[in-house]
Amino acid sequence: MLSRTAENLFWSARYIERADSLARLLEVGYRISLIPNTERGYTNEWESILETSGIKNEYLKKYKTISKEKIIFFLLFDPENSSSVKNCIKTARENIRMVRTAVTLEVWNAVNSSYHELDKNLKDTKNILKELPEIIEWTKKQVNLIRGTILNTQLINDGYDFLILGTYFERADFTARIVNVKYFILLPSINYVGGDIDNFQWSLMLRSISSFRAFKWAYGGQEITYTKIIDFLILNMTCPRSLIFSIEKINHHIGRLSKLYKQTSTSQKKIGLMYKNIKNLSASKITDIGLHEFLKSFIEEINFVYKKFEQKYFFGSER
Amino acid sequence: MYNEVYKNSKVRKFYNQIYDWAMSLPENVVVKKKNEAENLFKKIGITFSVYNNFDSTERLIPFDMFPRIISSTEWKKIKRGVIQRALAVNAFLNDIYNSGEIIKAKLIPEDLIYKNPAYEVKMIGFKVPKKIYSPIIGSDIVRINEKTFKVLEDNCRTPSGVSYMIENREIMMRMFPELFEKLKIETVENYPNYLLDTLKSLAPRKCNKEPKVVILTPGSLNSAYYEHSFLADLMGVELVQGNDLFVDESITFMKTTRGPEKVDIIYRRIDDKFIDPITFDSSSLIGIPGLFDSYKSGNVNICSAPGSGIADDKAIYSYIPEIIKFYLGEEPILENVKTWRCCEEDAKKYVLNNLNKLVVKEVHGSGGYGLLIGSKSSKKEIEIFRKKILSNPSNYIAQPILELSSVPIFDKKKLSPRHVDLRPFCLVGANKTKLVDGGLTRVALNQGSLVVNSSQGGGVKDTWILNE
Repeated sequence: MLSRTAENLFWSARYIERADSLARLLEVGYRISLIPNTERGYTNEWESILETSGIKNEYLKKYKTISKEKIIFFLLFDPENSSSVKNCIKTARENIRMVRTAVTLEVWNAVNSSYHELDKNLKDTKNILKELPEIIEWTKKQVNLIRGTILNTQLINDGYDFLILGTYFERADFTARIVNVKYFILLPSINYVGGDIDNFQWSLMLRSISSFRAFKWAYGGQEITYTKIIDFLILNMTCPRSLIFSIEKINHHIGRLSKLYKQTSTSQKKIGLMYKNIKNLSASKITDIGLHEFLKSFIEEINFVYKKFEQKYFFGSER
Repeated sequence: MYNEVYKNSKVRKFYNQIYDWAMSLPENVVVKKKNEAENLFKKIGITFSVYNNFDSTERLIPFDMFPRIISSTEWKKIKRGVIQRALAVNAFLNDIYNSGEIIKAKLIPEDLIYKNPAYEVKMIGFKVPKKIYSPIIGSDIVRINEKTFKVLEDNCRTPSGVSYMIENREIMMRMFPELFEKLKIETVENYPNYLLDTLKSLAPRKCNKEPKVVILTPGSLNSAYYEHSFLADLMGVELVQGNDLFVDESITFMKTTRGPEKVDIIYRRIDDKFIDPITFDSSSLIGIPGLFDSYKSGNVNICSAPGSGIADDKAIYSYIPEIIKFYLGEEPILENVKTWRCCEEDAKKYVLNNLNKLVVKEVHGSGGYGLLIGSKSSKKEIEIFRKKILSNPSNYIAQPILELSSVPIFDKKKLSPRHVDLRPFCLVGANKTKLVDGGLTRVALNQGSLVVNSSQGGGVKDTWILNE
């Protein structure tokens, strides 16, 4: 497969995953805005949503002040925000369009019609706050449709591996970031552990990765504690948004590529090591290392894997 | 004006069934089907980009559901005529880049070839694989009357539109399967196979295994990008951009996830001047440094060959009848349109005195840009062209304003005639020259308009060759 084709497939899947993550973040924001809260606390939440999505600086450059409507517009539709939901879907489509022949007609149709519908949604939107739930629902539905089409219609060949890798590199990054932005609410030293505020904050975090109910099922409806959340978001193999889940997938699919091409690579060795290490971790060990420190080095390591992966398969040399 | 459907207010025999069908469609069904067709095009992603100075936007090419029919007798003649021209054009290109017999025979003025900007001096003396310079030729044909089809031009570089020929058919078959049961319509779906066979037959000298074919595109912003990816998909070959390829020791490779892979035949859809920044335009970002060297070393073939464009120069066009006679010893099967070359003094005089009755074209223009239709232009526009011709006469040719034949379109409530042309696609391989039985019918959607280009209000129709 052409290196560029692989790169386009990878990034289209990555942008689709990003659109999904943004929609979930906005869902949390929307929930907060429905719950009575102090003005300050509420502003903080929107700010942390900006931080998690990694575009706070871009936003502040354009709008100066934190405003709910502006943030929603910025995250959903703003053409100047390269990571807005609209631009994510647009970029995903452009990437797929460039390699139209590497995906099935069904996948192309799913991506292409999402793009055209989104364009229409944007034009029809009159009150962005009121219509937010529908837009969020629509986005999640489209992403699921696209992903389902990929799973059901693509050949399970190297192109498929690059698509899946795009998804999980993005997801690992996103989950790590969302936990990192809020790591302080998972610190054991806070003395009102178990209080209402914690429960509220924790449930928001779970919701933002769509795992609120999943968590309850996974832990048999037990009381939420910070160790359980750490375990769930980082170490639980049954949670599709946990770090270990993404790492396992990346390890698996890079492994498949190495086998298919009969070539080893630095990224393969490194991700193998990461997977081995994370399997041997426990929530208490992470607390000992320090959650923030753990996440910081996790993000660095996964970025290193990506850099090596990109050099090997997209640029043609591992230097 | 020749109406292809009616003859003395009666419907022609082979249009009978289609006409009855069209008349029987209730208005709401026509509207519904129109929307359906549009949605299909949108879904498949058949769009083209329209260039202006600021941005390029994707648009749907308008599709009309009333098919254009050509009888098998008419088609046989067109087919023979198109093949004849394609062979003559290739013989001509081979000659002018080698011994130049036609110039020695004084059939074409020397300056028109050797001083032509489209003449590529770097190609002189080079032995092009199998002597085929232009393997894909799209001739634009217009119908003047019952008997006469004339060729307006032969596009020898990288003619586009073939994807519409195939997709128009797909869409018609999906929407109106009953018509295909009733009538025997020749299929066009073999085109991609024919194209691949043709390209594979043109392997370069140093290729001794199954040749690797790729399509080279300028990228997804190009107006014909959909077609590039469509053809790559149907032929099962890679669609590459300049930066996917590189040349090492005169061998051309593509970058793949497994490492470099050798490429033998490049069906390029980019212009000569952009293919290699070392040899041609150094500012080209879409080319491959060293490609021309690789080509001349016999390691890779570039289709069409650099320098083929001279054959679709509009001044050369006027010599095609002579070219056919000279190389093939045959009379032209399809007529040319009468052409005045403004570089000739008498012709120039005539043109300047009759601007309101003529179409004036730039010798190197294309896409319906840079032309004057005398009868449809204001005095001011005509005067602008007069000055242009006077200042650079050899840059212009003039032709009579042709009354293109018409075929109806579904215009809101009723059928309404519009002018059409026809572009069949002729494939010239090492041993075989062929074309599928069909072509692209372009239609000028504005009433009375003679410009069928998609960039200027043109649409397309499915074209049926009947198997009688």
